[in-house]
Amino acid sequence: MNRELNPSLSPAAGQPGGILTHHVRTALSILLVLTLGIAPAWAGLGQSEASVTADQLHMKSEDRVQTFQAYKVHELTNPDGTVVREYLAPQGSVFGVTWQGRSTPDMNQLLGTYVSNLQTATPDQIQIRRQRGITIKTSDFVYSNFCRLRVCKGSAFVPSLVPAGVSTEVLR
Amino acid sequence: MNFKFRSMAKAASFFLGAMCLFIAAGCGSSSSKTASTAVSNTVPVMANFGPPGAGGDVDVLFVSVTVCQHGTSNCTTIDNVKVDTGSFGLRVVSAAVSGVTLTQINESNSALEECVQYADTSYSWGPMQLADVQIGSEKAFNIPIQVIGATNNLPVPQKCLTTPVATGVPNGGNEDSLGSLGANGILGIGGEVFDCGSTCANSASNMYYICPSGTCQEVAAPTSNQAVNPIAEFTSSDNNGVVITLPAVPATGSVSVSGTMTFGIGTQSDNALTGVTLFAMDACGNFPSASFNGITYMDNVCQTGSGGFGAFLDTGSNGLFLLDANTLHSVDAAISDCTNTNESGFYCLTAGGTATLSPISLLGDGNVGSGTVSVNITDANKLFSTNNAEFNDLGGDSVVNGSATTDFFDFGLPFFLGKKVFVGIAGQAAPAGVNAPNGFVAF
Repeated sequence: MNRELNPSLSPAAGQPGGILTHHVRTALSILLVLTLGIAPAWAGLGQSEASVTADQLHMKSEDRVQTFQAYKVHELTNPDGTVVREYLAPQGSVFGVTWQGRSTPDMNQLLGTYVSNLQTATPDQIQIRRQRGITIKTSDFVYSNFCRLRVCKGSAFVPSLVPAGVSTEVLR
Repeated sequence: MNFKFRSMAKAASFFLGAMCLFIAAGCGSSSSKTASTAVSNTVPVMANFGPPGAGGDVDVLFVSVTVCQHGTSNCTTIDNVKVDTGSFGLRVVSAAVSGVTLTQINESNSALEECVQYADTSYSWGPMQLADVQIGSEKAFNIPIQVIGATNNLPVPQKCLTTPVATGVPNGGNEDSLGSLGANGILGIGGEVFDCGSTCANSASNMYYICPSGTCQEVAAPTSNQAVNPIAEFTSSDNNGVVITLPAVPATGSVSVSGTMTFGIGTQSDNALTGVTLFAMDACGNFPSASFNGITYMDNVCQTGSGGFGAFLDTGSNGLFLLDANTLHSVDAAISDCTNTNESGFYCLTAGGTATLSPISLLGDGNVGSGTVSVNITDANKLFSTNNAEFNDLGGDSVVNGSATTDFFDFGLPFFLGKKVFVGIAGQAAPAGVNAPNGFVAF
């Protein structure tokens, strides 16, 4: 498998997460974000690759990057073991996110402005499996989440942002 | 995992029991798990639409649970508590225990509260309190339960609501009543002891909170204060699992089903592990592998943090949530996702048909247990038109737009109809010869 550290990360990334190390890494990353003039108000779905860094900071996660022919994946592993993957189109916008772990990560962060689809979806756009699962399909947004206590998995994507020739089956 | 904490809890229990030899007062109910005359270990369970006002979900199993103020006969019996092998711990709506005074659990001198978020964006929020819990004749003394809705107007922490509530979900939002929860409580009796375990004990998580001065913050909660599987705390030796026995129903369903829940596995003459295949579960409580139609679906979520769940048995799922409509379409072109709102989330088949998925091959962890099962999926529109409540052939997809890398098999309550299913709890004393450190199922 092709694994490489995200080059946009600070040099401290990948080291064991002692408190001092963590603070240094956060400070460096914030400095990096400020230096580049990127300060996204939200992150995640539909946003640029820089927003992945915002998600990483928000979730205090480790990042690793896999590059495929038609898309790129940032895999963020949170301290509690939750794994979030953000799928990037060549133009650089996040077209899909997936998550697996003990609980559902912060969707306000991961879905960016698309989170409003959850709140405004009408009953005919929602399928539920009572308490266990939900699927929401609006005009250009597909959300699916399934949990029982201690285990959760889900995905969200924006069909219009999926690169040509890429199947949504790559979201895993 | 939580074995270390579990044994610490047992050590503490032993120590307290030893203290009781010297301090007689107040120790009456802290009975140790010594061999005693076998207690009656069966209780009736019912599957039906539930009481008026419950909302009438299909394929839900209920039991009665008695909750008492610790050490007293001040008790109330709560009927229509949902039996859930997909969670751990007892949660009851506050209205169901309003006549009983329970002991609040504190952390840092503030009441310990818990938030449980469900995948459909609903949630339950309320304090952790100590109670004596009795199910049939089996008793667990002074165990933490969640009293959902007894929040003294504390708003649910936003940290818990990682997914905003989808207002279009029927009974969405706060599930703190019979009407919204669809039951008077949830009896979580799956294959783990604690509802969170060491993760929440070692650091603050978005499950447990304290709210000093009305502002809630995440807090670490030792396992001794977490919601606990009551079976694991039974004072009898019937504390290593449960057997759920339900009768078969016709293909068009039944309006009501009566069965039994038997506590303990291999502890009494009525719960012997005979005539069944035992499957060891993996560290996530799943079958690590399930194969159907030439494709193997792995529990990659547990193994590599991606993909599907493999397979699992869960009385708290009110359908057979298996694979996805696109995948099954290639097996039987009649299958699709239902489009009517009242069948939403389930499979429909053209012309009211039935599809048989067989064989589905299941493999236990470390190859402990292998076998095949067969399930039918019948058109949900046809099933619901019968006005029956319990179906053995009600299906739905596990992941919409799923694929072999994300799909899984959730064998919900329909799977249990017509079967005797054993659920063994991880870390509890398994019957001799059973090698399943993460728990097991057998049927």
